[in-house]
Amino acid sequence: MKTTARPAFTWRDITESRLFFPILAFSLILLFDFIFIPRFFVIENRDGNLHGSLIDIFRNGSTVMLLAIGMTLVIATGGVDLSVGATMAIAASVAGILMNPSALNNEVFFVTDPNYTFQPLWIVITSALLVATLCGLWNGALVAYMRIQPMVATLILMISGRGIAQLITNGLRVQITYKPYAFIGQGWIILPFSLYLVAIVLVLTWFMTRKTAIGMFIESVGINFRSSFYSGIDEKRIKLLVYTFCGFCAGIAGLVASSNVRTSDASNIGLTTELDAILAVVIGGTSMSGGRFSLLASMIGALVMQAITQSMYAIGVPAFALQAIKAVVVIFVILLFSEQVRSFFQRISTQKKEV
Amino acid sequence: MLRPVSNFFSKNRNYIPLMSTAFLALAAYGIGAYFFAGMRNPQVFFNLFRNSSFLLISGIGMTLVILTGGIDLSVSGVVALTSVASAVLLREGWNPWGVILLMLAMGMTLGALMGSSIVYLKVQPFIATLAGMWFARGMCFFISDNVVAIDDRVFQILGKTKILIPGLTELAVKQGNPAPYISIPVVVAFALLIIVIYVAHYTRLGRTIYAIGGNEGRNEQSARLMGLPVDRTKMFVYTFNGFCSALAGLSFSLFVASGHGLYASGFELDVIASVVMGGTMLTGGAGYVFGTFFGVLVLAVTQALIQFIGTLSSWWTKIVIGVLTLIFIGVQTILANRKEGRQNLPATSALVAARRRQQRLAFGIVALVLIGIFSFSRFGLASQTETTESAQCEIKPFREEEAASLITDGAAIVYNRTAGPECVDELFAIYPDGRVTGNDGVNSVEEKVDPAEVEQALVQISDEYKWFTDAIYGRYLTPCRQCFAHYVSISYQGQEKTVSQVDGTASMPAGYTLTLAVIRSLLPDINPAP
Repeated sequence: MKTTARPAFTWRDITESRLFFPILAFSLILLFDFIFIPRFFVIENRDGNLHGSLIDIFRNGSTVMLLAIGMTLVIATGGVDLSVGATMAIAASVAGILMNPSALNNEVFFVTDPNYTFQPLWIVITSALLVATLCGLWNGALVAYMRIQPMVATLILMISGRGIAQLITNGLRVQITYKPYAFIGQGWIILPFSLYLVAIVLVLTWFMTRKTAIGMFIESVGINFRSSFYSGIDEKRIKLLVYTFCGFCAGIAGLVASSNVRTSDASNIGLTTELDAILAVVIGGTSMSGGRFSLLASMIGALVMQAITQSMYAIGVPAFALQAIKAVVVIFVILLFSEQVRSFFQRISTQKKEV
Repeated sequence: MLRPVSNFFSKNRNYIPLMSTAFLALAAYGIGAYFFAGMRNPQVFFNLFRNSSFLLISGIGMTLVILTGGIDLSVSGVVALTSVASAVLLREGWNPWGVILLMLAMGMTLGALMGSSIVYLKVQPFIATLAGMWFARGMCFFISDNVVAIDDRVFQILGKTKILIPGLTELAVKQGNPAPYISIPVVVAFALLIIVIYVAHYTRLGRTIYAIGGNEGRNEQSARLMGLPVDRTKMFVYTFNGFCSALAGLSFSLFVASGHGLYASGFELDVIASVVMGGTMLTGGAGYVFGTFFGVLVLAVTQALIQFIGTLSSWWTKIVIGVLTLIFIGVQTILANRKEGRQNLPATSALVAARRRQQRLAFGIVALVLIGIFSFSRFGLASQTETTESAQCEIKPFREEEAASLITDGAAIVYNRTAGPECVDELFAIYPDGRVTGNDGVNSVEEKVDPAEVEQALVQISDEYKWFTDAIYGRYLTPCRQCFAHYVSISYQGQEKTVSQVDGTASMPAGYTLTLAVIRSLLPDINPAP
């Protein structure tokens, strides 16, 4: 075998990779943590399970990671789903009410028995995911078949979804004490259980999009849905599929989030997470106008968002003030990606070469 | 016979959403007035404007933004920032007029910043304004964590001056009602409405705004090719919306006479919904500023109706607004599809069939929604007859001093629970010897439990749930009307810690919930005396 003149990995290859910017951002934040926060990288071994700030970034980021998987596909078709936070709340409410229906009558607000559940766990999980998937299907139908702008179509569910969730739980915060359910968000098998969930969904999605033609169809719909239609792709069905899948992912995220706080809190679960998820995808380099996408880059984008949150908490920034810092970071990242800035850098580099 | 009707509709197609919104608002108010005598009071009608002056001000700015095909999600953030910043500056003793001018300048600056990133850096409006919202909301908490009251004299005069309606005063006095009035922000909102209607429909600037929006950005390109000042107009629109948001924020803080960073959350959705209901196309390019007025009115009437029905919880507002938005967007879409269909002359039978199917689907969904509303209203009326308990309860403050004295008397756990669905105010004390006392201000109860059980609970709370570590912290939020507010003092092995917190919020530490569950299992019921 002859080696080619060009080495396998050049600096250019690395900087032009889709993963370069997200990983750079992530490592910059970790570097910041390394310098300013003592014991950030310490990983403890408690009863064979790994604990630590670094693990917490992954664990707490798992909801946004789950949402980002679905959101990446939606954004790749040129759409956006604003309703994922509300869908999370709906799924959590359904799960909560199926486990503890007595909360509806304002009684037994505190079921203390960790083994009590009204319905078996598989019914709880299946029905919560089913309802979330239906929410996604509804969005998909509005976008694909009624041709409503994605942002507007999903805005409807974003407005009314939280109301629906509160309707399901009768406006109460349903306590969840059932131990096996708590395992979804709080369990550990060496690593946090929610991470395995993310991994399973990610691998399945990756397989579906990269080993079948669906991924290419999604990208082609995102680049130009009209020409995809003329080349024989049923763009409506593709759109319906991605929104439904996004709803499904939001359902899983809702289960994780509610089991994490052991409450189905219709008014707070998933509040503003849709923004985190969208920004995770944007940081991952998927264009908001659709087209090529990278699931892995979105995952790192989600971790970037979570790492920012976690490090700010660690240095004592109050939760609400955090938003301002997030906004600045987001603007910075978006500017980094914007064509103006990129072309500016390109101009500089070409000038250098000419010199 | 239907021909004149259909002719009328097809001639005035652009006005259909506007007219239907106006009709809806008036019909909803009429139905409300028919069922509830209170709604016939003219003051209730004028309160619709008083309560939604900030919504109208913000909606006017948003209409222009949406007409250019953009969107501004930052309004709620700017409103909250204005309320906090003005409250803090007034507390520091600044000149109130200076504060007002400064706030308006701040809003315009924020708007201009977002506008320039949208226009010159080509950031999507959605993302840029979202970042703007986060930034504004975050800044609120850098300025102040707590609610800051506004007690400046000028602000009070501006907020509380009653402007009587000429002609209605005598009528109301004759009927024995107090004279109906509106407030200064309402007048400002209407003045702004008139100015913007003039600008939008009768000036070159307005025509440029309409020319930019619509047709998925293709109109913007043609506007640019026609030589219209697209960039400048867009900058103006976002800056103006920043100004409107700040003005809305000022009238909001006049209305509530205080400022806090969590105010007006979800406000941008209300604004967008009212603009859409007013008949403005979200793709831009079509709509009327005056329609937004009716959109705001629909929202205000919905809120008033839900308040009057009383037994319906506030989240019904969200659902109803969502459904109404859906219907209006559905109507818009159908109209837009028809228009498109007319332009595409060579329509094959397959395309026609597809469009028919689409329309049938759309109508089907609208019909389903209507059925939903209908069944909801029946359900709402049914629930009205069943439950008569008052929905609101006055939240009593924690009995801190009583709790502290109980702890010094030797109690291990003192637990005070207020509010909740039945508006309780219960204070329990658990002693290490197993004695449990409780009172709700009227009745008291005393019971013996196993001392070992108390000891076990204390061990569990301090060891397993880490009560005495930083993992348990107090965060007091205003309790929602059906939630309990808890106050727990625990004294164990020389350690003492008190935490007060509303239960069930997602931000609550998990150990706190479990601690409450452990404590609750030890408590007797306080039964009212027969």
